[in-house]
Amino acid sequence: MNNVDPVKTLQAKFPDALRAVDEKSASRVYVSIDPAKVTDVARFLFEDLGARFIISTCVETRAGMEILHHFSFDSMGVIISLRAVVPMPEPRIDSIAPIIDGAEYIEREIMDLFGVEFVGHPNPVRFLLADDWPEGVYPYRKEYEDKYPYRTEEELEEVRDKVRKRGTK
Amino acid sequence: MSNLTRWGLKKSPWAFHLNTGSCNNCDIEILDALTPKYDVERFGITLIGSPRHADVLLVTGVVTLQTLPRVLRVYEQVAKPCLVVAIGACACSCGIFDGSYHVVGPLDKIIPVDVYVPGCPPKPEGIIDGVVKGLAKL
Repeated sequence: MNNVDPVKTLQAKFPDALRAVDEKSASRVYVSIDPAKVTDVARFLFEDLGARFIISTCVETRAGMEILHHFSFDSMGVIISLRAVVPMPEPRIDSIAPIIDGAEYIEREIMDLFGVEFVGHPNPVRFLLADDWPEGVYPYRKEYEDKYPYRTEEELEEVRDKVRKRGTK
Repeated sequence: MSNLTRWGLKKSPWAFHLNTGSCNNCDIEILDALTPKYDVERFGITLIGSPRHADVLLVTGVVTLQTLPRVLRVYEQVAKPCLVVAIGACACSCGIFDGSYHVVGPLDKIIPVDVYVPGCPPKPEGIIDGVVKGLAKL
């Protein structure tokens, strides 16, 4: 798909789904999209335009939970980031893992750390956090440090003691 | 410690490599230390696959919530007396991860540590030096 401007193609194909295009530079474009259309846009970029899926990222902003899927057009040197903002406190977005296998792990990671629910994810189980980590506690959310401040040495010792007493069988 | 035990421990120390949540940087340096370039086999040191056969425990990384029971379990299985070497800034003091949500270390709060090898990561020379100094202490 050389000589095709991916941003213009997207704008022509999805006039309703695209909310804003933010060109940081010629090679770095952020496209804000309607969260409900994320699978359609990702499928078009990945399957029809042949973009390479780099990674997904997530950040909590005042507007809500911001989920970014980054795609690269290697032959052109252009990186397009799909930016979808979903409302807190229960962020929910369609999973792109059924379309792009490579997104499966990073979506599980975001699920663990930010508590974003990816609807339609093929294997939505815990990935990084410990097995006995409490449900509903998401360490990368802004609220985390207020609710759970740094553990003091005594509190840490309590955690260690609990495991020692439980034994290691 | 009887002379026989001491001799048995120092003659040919077998090392077990335990990663308790490190970033793999220290692990790579341990593997470097085992290459023919540094040739730790001249001290009789060799890497083995089971903690039950180990004389030396090489531990890298902060201890996390997930690895804490596993560290205790591995330490229980090592034949005593043994030499525990904390390798890298994380195992020695939690390093930059101190206070992080998953961290319950450092290692010396969990199991008794004989030698600390600081560095991020320590050089292979440092790791060998640490193990040899630990053995000399026995």
